[in-house]
Amino acid sequence: MKFSVCIKQVPDVTAPIQIKEGQLHQDADRLVLDAYSASAVEESLVLTEKHGGNVEVVSVGPEKAKETIRKALAMGAESAVHISTDDNASYDSLSYAKILAAYYKNHSFDVIAVGKQSQDTDAGLTGGMLAALLDLPFATNAVGLEADPSANKIIVKRQGDSGQEMIELPMPCIVTCSNDMNDPRIPSLKGIMASKKKPVDTKTLSDLGLDAASLQADMKTQVLGFQSLPQREPGKKFEGDATELVGTLMNALQNEAKVL
Amino acid sequence: MSKILVYLPTADGKIKRSALEVLSHARVLASKNGLTLEALVVDENPSVFVETAAKYGAATVHTVQNPLFKQHLNAPLIQALESAIKTSGAKFFATPSMEATKDILGALAAKLNAGVLPDVASFDIEGDAIVALRPVMAAKVLQKVKSTGNVVLVSVRSGSYDASEAPVSGSANTLTFEPDANSIKAFLREILKTAGTGVDLSEANVVVSGGRGVKDEDGRKMLEDLAALMNGAVGASRAVTESGLFPATAQIGQTGKVVSPDLYFAVGISGAIQHVAGMSNSKVIVAINKDPDAPIFQYATYGLVGDLYKIMPILIEEIKKIKAA
Repeated sequence: MKFSVCIKQVPDVTAPIQIKEGQLHQDADRLVLDAYSASAVEESLVLTEKHGGNVEVVSVGPEKAKETIRKALAMGAESAVHISTDDNASYDSLSYAKILAAYYKNHSFDVIAVGKQSQDTDAGLTGGMLAALLDLPFATNAVGLEADPSANKIIVKRQGDSGQEMIELPMPCIVTCSNDMNDPRIPSLKGIMASKKKPVDTKTLSDLGLDAASLQADMKTQVLGFQSLPQREPGKKFEGDATELVGTLMNALQNEAKVL
Repeated sequence: MSKILVYLPTADGKIKRSALEVLSHARVLASKNGLTLEALVVDENPSVFVETAAKYGAATVHTVQNPLFKQHLNAPLIQALESAIKTSGAKFFATPSMEATKDILGALAAKLNAGVLPDVASFDIEGDAIVALRPVMAAKVLQKVKSTGNVVLVSVRSGSYDASEAPVSGSANTLTFEPDANSIKAFLREILKTAGTGVDLSEANVVVSGGRGVKDEDGRKMLEDLAALMNGAVGASRAVTESGLFPATAQIGQTGKVVSPDLYFAVGISGAIQHVAGMSNSKVIVAINKDPDAPIFQYATYGLVGDLYKIMPILIEEIKKIKAA
């Protein structure tokens, strides 16, 4: 089976963030492999270990995205494609989907795995957009994945609104992965050493028949700025023994909040 | 006159509450901006929902009917929505944000070459654009975004607006739908329902959620008992769905479900920002936690500092007394 995993480099969302004049500032300018992308890599590795095949990773981003690509190679992916963009270029989800679609049009694969969303924007659009552009069947929010290569299909367990849905998809197809799917492996020292020798094929937008200016011109969404979350009204905090606390709470819920 | 079309997902014979919230807000925006408001129901039996949609202000309710829609597959729904948006000539399309709509929004936008703003906390219409605020960076900040295009799609987080009635006389407009069998390649094998109180978490008026402070099955049982007494649903933080103590379906937070009940119990939940993002629209929040410095107390309407294993049994008895009275 051939898995191709779209991975994204994101800012470390656990680092402190400040907003200055409507713009985001992070003290530690640390860039990491997106956690949902990591789950997509992990699941692809597990399935190829079980059924044979190989895992390729594909990332769109500036030169520094190479660090994140190496991380995925160190986890065990065999090869990588880096679609390089300008340092300061930023695109909306549809533009990224167009770039990825341009790459996949001329490449074969059984399954494209992507994160169900990314940690920085939580938009969750690109996987579905890519499926529409490539006219492929897809399933989102996968929490489990099994393959049946002889029948040329995969079985996706997706988290739906009121239960888990088991969906069968013929290959080739696209699956967007939840971080609840697995615990991505930490690269071993051996894996890190090996990653340095693995091939990274760098492509430019023009190699894919695209140009940055037209992509920018077609963009429909722009970021206007950032602001802090609204604060909730501070509430009341009670201490004491359990019986006393429950008494106070019951009184508040019945007579003040009137929700009982 | 431009048109705003609101998609109203249904479940268990009802329009989702979050859909009525979006419809109510769209009605306000329509009247402010001189837009026509229309609604859309896609279901195996959509006509029964027309009355409710009209009660919330939609005079025209487009309906798409097909037994296929029972199957939770994305391809037929995407086809139905794409065709309904084109037929209605809507400029703006709004939907509640839930797993079933997250599943289709990206593909729908790509097919329509539309602008799209997913999972927003609030939105407004400015000329031919939608301007919205969305939580980003693990829900630590809000991003202000603007989207334009021939069509602009927006999905709205549960609890962002109140559902309010404004009855009009409604009429159904049946749209023809011919599913393209060739494009429906996926096949639903089964739906695994998880055990619980049977109350839909995203619709529940009362949610009782557990976190790391809930150590064992006995603890979880207390939460289930309280939820059952109040006709509520059980939720959980990521820590305890990952550990397997609570089902994955119960996960509330930025990566799980967004809930907005009248009453939310956070039991043994520290209040990490990722969890808070999924419940901060709740009207009344009760927090029970041993640690007086737990961040959850910053969000709680009523915070009880103490051991949940001591507090919960007494609380359950008190609620029983009220229910019996």
